Amino acid sequence: MSRQLPMVAAINEALHVALASDPTVIVLGEDVAGGGGRQDQGIEEAWGGIMGATKGLIKAFGAERVRDTPISEMGFLGAAVGAALTGLRPVAELMFIDFIGVSLDPLLNQAAKLRYMFGGKAKVPLTVRTSTGAGLRSAAQHSQSLYNITTSIPGLKTVIPSNPADAKGLLLAAIRDDDPVVFCEPKSLMFKKGEVPEGDYMVPLGKAALAREGGDVSLVAFGAMVDVALAAAAALAEEGVSAEVLDLRSLQPLDEAAILATLAKTGKVVVVDEAPPRCGIASDVAALCVDAGFDSLNGPVRRVTAPHTPVPFSAVLEDAYRPTAARVAETVRGMLG
Amino acid sequence: MSATAVGMPKLGMTMTEGRVVAWPVPLGGRVEKDAVVLVIESEKAEIEIESPAAGHLRHVYVPADRTVPCGTLLAALTTTMDEAFDADAFRRDHDRPERTVVTPAPRADRAVASGAARQDGAASRAAPITPAARALARDLGIDVAVVAGTGPQGRVTREDVEAHAAARERLVPVGGGVSLEVLGQGSGEPVVLIPGFGSDGSAFALQVPALVAGHRVLAVNPRGAGLSDAPDEPVYTVATAARELLAAAGGPAHLVGASLGAAVAMEAALQGPERVRSLALITPFVSASPRLLAVLESWCRVATESSAETLAATLLPWLFSTDHLADDRARGRTLRGLAQMLARVAPSSLARHAAGLRVWSGTRASDLQRLRVPVLVVAGSEDLLTPDARDVADAIPDSQFLAIGDAGHAVALEQPETVNAALVRHLRGR
Repeated sequence: MSRQLPMVAAINEALHVALASDPTVIVLGEDVAGGGGRQDQGIEEAWGGIMGATKGLIKAFGAERVRDTPISEMGFLGAAVGAALTGLRPVAELMFIDFIGVSLDPLLNQAAKLRYMFGGKAKVPLTVRTSTGAGLRSAAQHSQSLYNITTSIPGLKTVIPSNPADAKGLLLAAIRDDDPVVFCEPKSLMFKKGEVPEGDYMVPLGKAALAREGGDVSLVAFGAMVDVALAAAAALAEEGVSAEVLDLRSLQPLDEAAILATLAKTGKVVVVDEAPPRCGIASDVAALCVDAGFDSLNGPVRRVTAPHTPVPFSAVLEDAYRPTAARVAETVRGMLG
Repeated sequence: MSATAVGMPKLGMTMTEGRVVAWPVPLGGRVEKDAVVLVIESEKAEIEIESPAAGHLRHVYVPADRTVPCGTLLAALTTTMDEAFDADAFRRDHDRPERTVVTPAPRADRAVASGAARQDGAASRAAPITPAARALARDLGIDVAVVAGTGPQGRVTREDVEAHAAARERLVPVGGGVSLEVLGQGSGEPVVLIPGFGSDGSAFALQVPALVAGHRVLAVNPRGAGLSDAPDEPVYTVATAARELLAAAGGPAHLVGASLGAAVAMEAALQGPERVRSLALITPFVSASPRLLAVLESWCRVATESSAETLAATLLPWLFSTDHLADDRARGRTLRGLAQMLARVAPSSLARHAAGLRVWSGTRASDLQRLRVPVLVVAGSEDLLTPDARDVADAIPDSQFLAIGDAGHAVALEQPETVNAALVRHLRGR
């Protein structure tokens, strides 16, 4: 019997599995336990995180392991790094990746560096869950796709699932990894259902997945853009164009072999990324194709991204801002001529 | 003093493209504001388009019968005919097609354009090439300059190199380091098709389907046509062409030649009578008429100095009958097909073939009586170029003569059914 769960429930399930299977796992962040997280005040289940991803954890595992924090990202991420250094496996929730600006030092200069600076004698098994992307009418400060920042920092890993099953397996792999991992949760996918296996399983970090096989062109996507690429592939199939869709799943480590393999197969790559184009993942993948896959290129590498602007608040503009299946398909048509 | 753009209008939300039906004003002609400057067809209705300004029809970018997206620049009007006007710059500024519509016509243009690039050599190649195509060409030892590109903007793709490699396997060495492209299909007794001056095997495209039943049909591209080599020699003699043809044919075969191809066929039958089973001579000559020589001279010059399209337009009146020329639709179709074929022949090779033809002309008149194989001679009643076809037939002992009405020099293209029926009868032994 297959179960259909939304991504938020798959993440909740992964947290239950992680907390139950390892007593060193703790969860902390703003509102992860409840509005205040005070059992003595009887409001422990008020929130369970802004999306409800941590709902029920405080009841199951207690206020010692599921801790609400003050609204200070710098404070609780610093605490999480310290906890990780001293033997725990903290899962911190950075409510929106947009808030990385006020909390970057613990990640950039501490978590990412300590294993190297202590000659491998220290480790930081920290997971930072954070929501990314537009589509929920959350405007310029709560809709960004800043995973390119964390991906660019050596010492950090960054993953981003495109479906509930991968969300559960990737989160468990992230929590059990001995290095700091930024786990991106695409907001627009959180309430979209998909099949989720029961029990305890992991999706390996650094492994892309073929979401659809094809021979004419490769659509490389991740997170919410995988569905966009799949919809474009379905539309192109009706025109006799066979598009392959590669879901990166991990941005760092990046599955370069999988990207180069699909390029070698089709000779044409379109990278779909909902972030702006400059210094982004799409540019990075395009550079890899040109650098390491030059002799396989049978056409230009194309990027379909958001424009180089903040995410607009206007619903009409926000819809125009994000890459669509129509734009991806049109880009492919232009490449096939 | 300024130029005004005439574009394909968008006459409704659902209209994405339109067909140019006619330009009622001649090129250079004057048109008043709001007078009809253009007739288009959209969704099966013909619509007259009024001129946005008064002026002269200075440049037409899209000729009649072409379908283009809304917003495409169709023509430019200028206030006077002598003011400065840069057609390319104007197009850059005013050509705004709504979206790319793939129509067969631009594809054909590309083929012609890349065919032309082939003759200019690697140095002036404008068409881009994908890295994958370049790498494959390097692995296969193919010169990318000779590969025709079919990708966007004429880009040479991996598929183009693959197609070229497949075509290269059709190259048959005929001695002296020269290879000719032989396009073969079917099985049975070999029938070898020899195209005329400046043509390739596709000149027989309408004959092949009729001949392929029961025969191995081999169209041999002469030097400089298609992928055949074009050595830098001042003269390609008919005798050499005949020797190479017999080598390409392999064993004894029926020969079908048109015009200069018929001369090659006769020469081959005289050189190697045991290797020729029969001859079909379409619009043959033994002595080139002054008009033929003059047409060849203009052919060489236009081919070197202008585009394949211009060459096709120049040749059309010399090759086809009045009826064919009177039919606008047929004429347009023929023009496009002819241009594509002419683009596959290297202009530099034409003068060498012409020199060979002149040298051969008149040398074999008294030898025709020695031909001992069955010969069919086909002529077009309106042929302007080879008026002595009848004399050829009369000089050959075992010959049959067929003059076909409403046909010019390109009789095999104009009257394929009649020609095919005669060929099939001839090959069957009458």
